[in-house]
This record gives sequence, C-alpha cells and structure tokens, in this order.
Amino acid sequence: MNKATEVKDLIKDYGNFRALKGISFEVNQGEIFGLIGPNAAGKTTALRIISTLLQITSGEVKVFGYDVIKKADKVRERISYLPEEAGAYKNLSGKAYLEFMASFYSKDNEEKREIMERGIELAKLGKRLKGKVSTYSKGMSRRLLLARALMINPKLAILDEPTSGLDVIISQEIRGIIKDFVKKGTTVLLSSHNMLEVEFLCDRITLIDKGLILETGTPQGLKDKYNAKNIEEVFINAIR
Amino acid sequence: MKNFYNILKKEIKELMTKQMIFGLVFMIAMFGIMANFMKGIREKDNELINLAVLDLDKSQYSKGILDKLSQQKTIEIAEITEIDIEKAIEQAKEKEAKVLLVVPENFGEDIKIKKRVDLELYSIIKRLSMKGMISDATINAIIGSINREISINFIQEAFPDKNPGDIISPLNIKEFVVVKDKMVSGNPVIIEGLVVSQSVMIPVILMMLIIYAGGTIVTSMVSEKENKTLETLLTLPVKRTSIVIGKMTGATVVALLMAGVFLGGFRYYMSSITPAIPSGKAILEDLGLTMTPLSYTLLGISLFLAILIALSISMILGMFAQSTKNAHIMNMPIVLLAMIPYVLLMFQDVEMLSLPMKIFLYAIPFAHPIIASKALIFQNYPIVLGGIAYMIIFAAVTMYVAIWLFNTDRVLTAKFSLKKLKIKRLKRK
Repeated sequence: MNKATEVKDLIKDYGNFRALKGISFEVNQGEIFGLIGPNAAGKTTALRIISTLLQITSGEVKVFGYDVIKKADKVRERISYLPEEAGAYKNLSGKAYLEFMASFYSKDNEEKREIMERGIELAKLGKRLKGKVSTYSKGMSRRLLLARALMINPKLAILDEPTSGLDVIISQEIRGIIKDFVKKGTTVLLSSHNMLEVEFLCDRITLIDKGLILETGTPQGLKDKYNAKNIEEVFINAIR
Repeated sequence: MKNFYNILKKEIKELMTKQMIFGLVFMIAMFGIMANFMKGIREKDNELINLAVLDLDKSQYSKGILDKLSQQKTIEIAEITEIDIEKAIEQAKEKEAKVLLVVPENFGEDIKIKKRVDLELYSIIKRLSMKGMISDATINAIIGSINREISINFIQEAFPDKNPGDIISPLNIKEFVVVKDKMVSGNPVIIEGLVVSQSVMIPVILMMLIIYAGGTIVTSMVSEKENKTLETLLTLPVKRTSIVIGKMTGATVVALLMAGVFLGGFRYYMSSITPAIPSGKAILEDLGLTMTPLSYTLLGISLFLAILIALSISMILGMFAQSTKNAHIMNMPIVLLAMIPYVLLMFQDVEMLSLPMKIFLYAIPFAHPIIASKALIFQNYPIVLGGIAYMIIFAAVTMYVAIWLFNTDRVLTAKFSLKKLKIKRLKRK
C-alpha cells in the first residue's frame, strides 16, 4: 500500500531540549491516523515537521514520497494543515477568507468556484459567512478553518487537535465532517489528547509521550493487547 | 505571480482598516486647518489698518501729518471727537478701530523746535483670538508712517531743492545671487523655498515612509503570529519569497498612499507660509538649481531603495516580535536610523560634518536619499550614485537575510525577550 506519510527516526531539538527522541511511524493512504498523547508529548512538533513548518534535527520524513525538507514545495501542494490554535484574518469576512485561500489552489475561476462551494457547504455558516471573522464565536471560527482545510480536497489533511476547546455538539459535528470527508479519498493525520474521541475517529493510532512512541496499532488491537476497556486505559498501561 | 498578487491583495485589505482611513482623512483635515490658519495670519498683516485719531493739538502741522497718513492706501483714519481718553476709546470701539492714536497738545510746536514728542497708541483688543490681535507690523507701520512724514517735512525745510526720498534712503541696492559659477540678479529669498523643500520636505516624507512602512510590516508579522494565521500561511503552496515580497509590497503601497497624502497636505501647508515669488522659478533655472528628469529618477531610485531596506530590516525584526507591545520595541532601531540623518541633515550639510560623523552618516542607508536630494540640485552625481550603489548592496543583503529567515523555521521559533536580556546582563555582573 502506498504511504501517505513515512516518519523514520525523527529527532527534533529546541536548543537543549529534545522534543522528539527518534520516532518512527507510517500513515497509509485513505485512513484516519491519530497521534495520541498528553500535552507536551511532541504531537504538535511532529505535525509541524510533516507540514513543512519546522526543520528536523535528524531522521527522515516523507509525504507521498517527497522529503519534507528537500521537496517542501511538492509536499505543500498535497497537504492541508489545521493548527491547534489557528485563526483567520480578522478584517476579512468568512467568505473573503475562504476565497483568499481557494485562490492558491485553483488554476481558473471555475475551479475556484468549485472549491468555494465546497468550503461554504462545509462551514455551514449561512449568512454569517459574509460577516467579519472578528465577530465569530470560537465554534464558528473552527468550522470556518476546518472548511478551509478540507475544501481543497487535500491528499493529506493534517489536523492538530481539531475539536480542542469546543463544546460537545460542535465537536461531534466536526468529527462527523472529518469522517465523511475521508470517504472521498482524503487521508487524515490528526492529533488529540482526547482519547475517547480518537477511538471513535481513527483507523489506527500511535501513542506518544515525552517525545517517544509507546505503541502503534488499531484501537481494537491495542485494547485487546492491553486487555483494556478503552484507549485511556491502554495509554495508562503503556506508560507504566 | 498569481500567488504574489493574492498575498498583496490580502495585505492591502488587512492594512486598509477603517482606523487607517480615518487617520488619513484626519491628516488631510489638519493640514487644511493649519494652512488656512497661516493664510489668515498673512492676510491680517496685509489688511487695512483702521486707525482712530484723537488730535488734541489741532494745529496746521498735525492736520498736515494726518492728511498725509490718510492718503496712504493701507491706513484708514477715523476722527475721534471725545477729549476724555476713556470716552475716546469707547468712540474708537464704536468706529471698529483697532488702534487709537492720541496726538498731544503742542505737538506741532514741539516738533518745530526739534523737541522729542510723546505719542500715545492704544491697541484695542476685543477678542483673544489671532484674528482679534493687533500685530507688531501694524503698530510699526503707523509709527513708521508718522516718522517718515515728519522727516520729509524737516528735509524739505532744510533742502528745498532735494528729493527727500534720496536723503531718507540714500542707498539703492542691486542684489545678485551667485551659486557656484552662475550669477543672477535677485534676492536670496528665492532660494528659501528650495532649501525648505530639500531640507525639510524630502527628509520628512522619507522619515514618515520609513517609520510607517517599517511599523506596518512589523505589525503585520506580529498580527499573523497573534491571530495564529502565520502557520497556515506558511503551509500554503506558495513560495516563501512571494510571501515576503507580497507583504513588503503591501506595506509599501499603503506607506506610499500615506506619504502621498502627507506630501499633498504638507505642500499645501508650506505654500501658505512660504512667500511666492513669480520670477523665482526662472531665476532658479538660470542658476541651474532645478531638478532634471535624471535627477528625479535618481532621487526616486534612492527613496525606493531606502524603503526596501527599511522593509527588509523590519521584516527581520518582525520575526522576533511576539506581541503588539513587543512590536513597538522591535521597530525602535528603524525609527532611530531614520531620525538621526533627518535631525543631522536638517540644519547642516553633510560636507560641514567632521570625518567620523560623515562616515557614521554615510553608513546609515536612510541618510542617502536626504543627501541625494540636496546633491542633485547641484548636479553632484558621484555622491548620489555612490549612495545608490551602497544601498543596492545593503538592500540585497537585508532582503537575502529576510527571505532566508522566512525559509527556515526561525520565522516561527525566533523570539525576542527583554526579560531574558536583563537576566543575561545580571548574570554577567
């Protein structure tokens, strides 16, 4: 099976602090892959490296066969990254923001219109889409940003804590959007510290803590291995 | 190119906020108000003097002097009949006079025996406003006119066959202005406008542009970080060079708009205070003190390079800024580098400075457009071309560093902390 992402012996240092201590994992095409771990485990650093934002100290990272350092431009054409605390340009309306983003991925006006239609449908903001982003609630902003990330039909969507800080209803709505979208052929790599959420969403997960990978497998496979009721129990057993 | 245009469009939309447009309108209004105020003062200096006169002497001599005064175009005389001074002032007020002149008794007799006479002048101020005030020039014009008429009488008595004007002003001045090897008949005041434009206007515009454009780009970088939009922007399929240049061009467009509005307003204001001499332009052309199309081109290149350098340095500094508060501190080096040549060269020519100061000034890229604006008037091209060459190298290095930093992860991870600096200093102690 072709790999959407290959991470081999990845090390990342911030000055004297080693955030990633030689992690390796692979993401298959068409699956939802979750990076699971507590705060400061190294999830965001790993996702930022895969998204071509950070340099690596050592190791190798490839996205659809392209090296994230040497072929960053090729990687950027194939990914869409939604950071954990992402924001949109406050002086633009939601529609203008989607239009601005769509313009980087479309060859002509027809393609741009198609992307915009998808974005408007995904955002589900109705008339509020014409309002300025600065007037949006947190949930509305997150929906807009998720729509921005997915409307371009990326080959790999990298979503960092997609439901972080949102209420139960909007979180469920967003999970539904992600699950539906994978059916259209997009691969999703997401991070979360909400272990129940990833159990529901992900085809495969990897448990990460203090820059090290503890386990990788399907949620059911890991639960069986650790004889646990849920992934939370798996994680607690794995770090012991 | 499409991506660059998208970034540019977004930057301009983000920068052209309602507050910014309000600021522009306010600036235009302020210049208009200031110019009208200054025009009002100048018109006041030339307006008709409404002079009330209480003639207590009533001699042929005093009448003769007052008749001569009333013949002058700038003075209109209103006769006061009340002898009591308080009542006389009231009557002067009724007649809308701003000045009351009291001619004392025996005025004519005392003058004839060459005895100094005390004249009383009452300035009547109705309102505490610039319009209501009586200028020094008004008082001097009245006193000067009386003195002149008395002097003419004396001269006519002593030298009946002479022209009194020739004795009062025996010197007839013919003025010439010499600039380098060229000489033209005229008053040096014609150079005043040129000096104002080259020593004040160009540096002010440049300083405004540099400070505003620099501040804009630092703020743009900080708001990308604060609003958490930078990470998304950096993962778009856009070359980092396009992002850097798009941001810089956006800041330049807005800064140019600001500078254009400022320049227009400033010129309007300056025209209200600088005396206009109709023949001035021709005299400046004869002296060779005009900007040729080549001069304008070189000045434009020099200004453009200075802005480019300011934007590149600001872009680098902006990468280290974490918050809006931090952004102002990060922009300080740019403000200082723009202010130093502005202050130094406003009052002095670069040639008048000591060698170390000259070297220091030449090292500051923002000094070169100011130096060029003066040097180009005298067609001193080597110093201008040297400055442009220096700025091209400076701009290339700073732009390279800005783009290089944008291509690394320092754009996300670089931080500037005053606290850390303080801690390091304390540790050294």
